[in-house]
Amino acid sequence: MTARWRYIMVEAFTGLRRNLMMTFAVVLSVTVSLTLLGASLLLSDQVDLATDDWVGRVEVSIFLCDDRTCPAITPEQQDDLRSELESQEVVAEVFYESKREAFERFQELFSDQPSLVDAIDPDTLPASFRVRLENPNLFNVIADQFSAFPGVDEIVDQREVLNQFLRFTNVVRNAALIVAAIQLVAAGVLIANTIRVAAFARREQTSVMRLVGASNWYIRLPFVLEGVMAGLIGALVSWGLLYATVPRVAGNLSRDIELMPFIGAEQVILVGPWLLIAGTGIAAFSSIVALRRFLDV
Amino acid sequence: MIRLQNVTKTYKRGSDGEVVALKDVSIEVNKGEFVFVVGPSGSGKSTFMKLLTREQVIDEGELWVAGKNLGTLRAWKVPVLRREIGYVYQDFKLLSNKTVYENIAFALEVIGKHRREIERRVPEVLELVGLADKAKAQPHELSGGQQQRVSVARAFVNNPRILLCDEPTGNLDPSTSVGIMKLLDRINRTGATVVMATHDQHIVDSMRRRVIELEDGVVVRDQSRGVYGYGS
Repeated sequence: MTARWRYIMVEAFTGLRRNLMMTFAVVLSVTVSLTLLGASLLLSDQVDLATDDWVGRVEVSIFLCDDRTCPAITPEQQDDLRSELESQEVVAEVFYESKREAFERFQELFSDQPSLVDAIDPDTLPASFRVRLENPNLFNVIADQFSAFPGVDEIVDQREVLNQFLRFTNVVRNAALIVAAIQLVAAGVLIANTIRVAAFARREQTSVMRLVGASNWYIRLPFVLEGVMAGLIGALVSWGLLYATVPRVAGNLSRDIELMPFIGAEQVILVGPWLLIAGTGIAAFSSIVALRRFLDV
Repeated sequence: MIRLQNVTKTYKRGSDGEVVALKDVSIEVNKGEFVFVVGPSGSGKSTFMKLLTREQVIDEGELWVAGKNLGTLRAWKVPVLRREIGYVYQDFKLLSNKTVYENIAFALEVIGKHRREIERRVPEVLELVGLADKAKAQPHELSGGQQQRVSVARAFVNNPRILLCDEPTGNLDPSTSVGIMKLLDRINRTGATVVMATHDQHIVDSMRRRVIELEDGVVVRDQSRGVYGYGS
């Protein structure tokens, strides 16, 4: 390390040590904001993971007529429908679900509500083709093409159910993001103030440096580095907090809820670089802004 | 070395008020000259000194210092200008948490000089100002005159082409002031241009150097081998 860099590092550490309370406040506030930021990023990951898993399983249900709402589908019409569906490019797979299978699935799904099951006759539920699409977003193609097909009663996109879930998680995630953003701004203001106090405490030294022709970045870098180090520590602490808690919570949840996969330590590790970038970035930005007026030539 | 051509500098005061600090001033100072700038408070002396180090920027005219046009000099090049200029203040501006040696070395460290050069150059200037034995002392352990010598040593350590002194004897008693003036004279003889703003009549009268007198922002007298005022 050259003499210049040693000077810059020593000055930055001295500044952090000299004002321990302020450093503590900065680290704490960065930690809180970045923990929230990390949590909302991880929630996004969780939603993506669950969505990917579900979307692969989500099907379009094409319910068939059975004389209740329209004339029952004939075996020929049913064969036509099946071969027509299978010839579509967007269709990945077609299953047939008979009335009995539909009833069995219903029984299973609502096994904890016997009164509901008792109310349903094995013949009540319609038979259906369950179609898995290559791209679930192309539901409309199928709906448009087959809703008027003879013997077809109704076409239902199961994705609607998923969308409701997604809307809810998006609200939660956005709320977390907004709070994180506000906290991050507060942390930035706190850093700016801390750096200004530090610069004021060393104004004699910086005025001498200006006087003898030290370059601007050389005068500022210790202060900027002081802010960045506080931001870095805050980012590392929040990363550690998330690493210690999130995989455990997700693990507990996945034991209770078997419907979807949960994120683990891997996602928490991947979110770390973003926390470091956000923490050091906001610290560097607010330090530089704080010094703009103060140390100008 | 220093050339002002029809330089005007105005300070804004509030929304409508304006204070003209320098009005159409033209001065030329050649390499190796020793110049006193005299005048009452508010005459524009301080503004003149601040323009030379580009702490302030001229409004009109042209200003050249050490071969640089300060009217068009980019902000990031200002440090390069200041490395050509040594500056001595009335109140010394020494760092109290550093020793005499460290105070002088600091001026070289922060402009990126190598340690070997620092270790060679600092004892040299300490010798020049007669404080070789005080290298390890803290500034508060020194007398005012000694502190000002340290300040001169710091200003001169980088071999500047110009030495600007703003009331360097303002806080010193007359006999100590004479010592400082001898030191400045010695530095001037090595080829450095010295510009000194002062109120000290005795010093100006005894040195018999060029005197530029400012009053209300205008040069009212520019005299080689001059004295402080007409009355004396």
